[in-house]
Amino acid sequence: MKSKITAKLWVLGIFIFLMLLSGCSLPGLSSSSEDTIKIGAQSMTESEIIANMISQLLERNTNYNTTVIKNLGSNFVQQKAMENGDVDIAATRYTGTDLTSVLGQKVEKNPETALKIVQEQFHKQYGYKFFDSYGFENTYAFTVTKKLAKENHYEKISDLKNDANNLNLGVDNAWLKREGDGYEGFVKAYRFEFGNTYPMQIGLVYDAVKNGKMDIVLAYSSDGRIKAYDLQLLEDDKNYFPPYDCAPVVNEKILKKYPEIEAQLKKLIGTITTEKMQELNYEVDGNLKEPSVVAKEFLQENHYFD
Amino acid sequence: MTTLIEFLQINWLETLYKAWEHLYISLIAVLLGISVAIPLGIVLTRMKKGAGFVIGFVNIVQTFPSLAVLAFFIPFLGVGKLPAIVALFFYSVLPILRNTYTGIKGVNPNLLESGKGLGMTNWERIFLVELPLSLPVIMAGIRTSSVYLIGWATLASFIGGGGLGDYIFIGLNLYQPAYIIFGAVPVTLMAVLIDYLFAKIEQKVTPKGIKGIKETV
Repeated sequence: MKSKITAKLWVLGIFIFLMLLSGCSLPGLSSSSEDTIKIGAQSMTESEIIANMISQLLERNTNYNTTVIKNLGSNFVQQKAMENGDVDIAATRYTGTDLTSVLGQKVEKNPETALKIVQEQFHKQYGYKFFDSYGFENTYAFTVTKKLAKENHYEKISDLKNDANNLNLGVDNAWLKREGDGYEGFVKAYRFEFGNTYPMQIGLVYDAVKNGKMDIVLAYSSDGRIKAYDLQLLEDDKNYFPPYDCAPVVNEKILKKYPEIEAQLKKLIGTITTEKMQELNYEVDGNLKEPSVVAKEFLQENHYFD
Repeated sequence: MTTLIEFLQINWLETLYKAWEHLYISLIAVLLGISVAIPLGIVLTRMKKGAGFVIGFVNIVQTFPSLAVLAFFIPFLGVGKLPAIVALFFYSVLPILRNTYTGIKGVNPNLLESGKGLGMTNWERIFLVELPLSLPVIMAGIRTSSVYLIGWATLASFIGGGGLGDYIFIGLNLYQPAYIIFGAVPVTLMAVLIDYLFAKIEQKVTPKGIKGIKETV
């Protein structure tokens, strides 16, 4: 009888110990410590990979502690998290998105001008440093299967005009209501609407179009599945979408407090091409590797730890 | 407040449409749940063994995270309303099944004996004695189930199923409280209304004979 109680106590003790142990690594709990750099990642593969790269670079090459806060719903959520001090480094920010949504400015087609405006305004309005691009962009791209494109001679978005009414469009959970580069502006620019629109988690659109559940989807161009599934991107012939060059954004106060961050981040700037990013994304989405593993492999291959 | 009114002026038609989609997804799933769970519950009461096992199994199904269940059906059913309805259907089964089982098990055996004495067949006993007497309990299960499902149906938006979840996700992603409010408030209202409606139906279908004694039982 007695031994039974002791056994129970042991189990309980181990259980509580494990709870406490796992609690240490939970982002919400550990990030409260002052000495940890909080890196925010959006709920996208690419954002998680890059956040892990930054985290590993800083942990290996400096003696800073970092934590990655994953699955922030969108650019806006990331921005608000930064404003509240819950995030110090935003791993992936996109010029076009920040220009139209956070800054509420007009669409700027020239990538350099767009970057310049965003960099100036972020410094002025928020005290954030918007870095130069990693070297890749991730734009919205209307995507169909090669078969459908061939049969109907779709090459550019305007080619859809007569058929759009009968097409089902799969999009991410925000685009339909985005201001500046969303659906409303699209309809004004191209003068047609799609038959039905189905918002869903962005990661699902590739399989949806491949399996014929959707006729056309609005993909993210840096996703590896476009190539792997042999999908056809349609040219944005009216130049509706702004450039979406990807860059990190860091609170300038943090850059001052941790002076080595800037040098480490600059190692990544201009080094990842769009093709490379597609490959890395596919490692996660197609080959089911963990984003942190993919990040580590990339950094090792390219000698970032030396 | 003015932004909310403006929001409605622009989006009222769409809001109604999303609400309809939402109701459609959840009600179809509940109806499917009812049509499976009640017969299954009756069958279970006839089984000597195995009832505990089946209910335990359904209990486990209930603990799967709803998002995981939604994602699970994508490889088979793709995206859209169908996988959403199927996933929600799985959730609707347990409360109805458990209540049907306990409701029928709780029917006074003496009444069943009298039924037998009156020369009722098995079917007659099910439909004239057991089901009417356990209806309040079964209805309670249906109500629980539908309120859950209306809440969970917001997740359908994740897999292209539409519904008011679309607004909630847009609101979260674009940081626009108006969308969150017009996604969440109608869901809540819908849940309350459906619960009320089913409560009314429950009152209607409860046999007069047991209305008075319900409190004393």
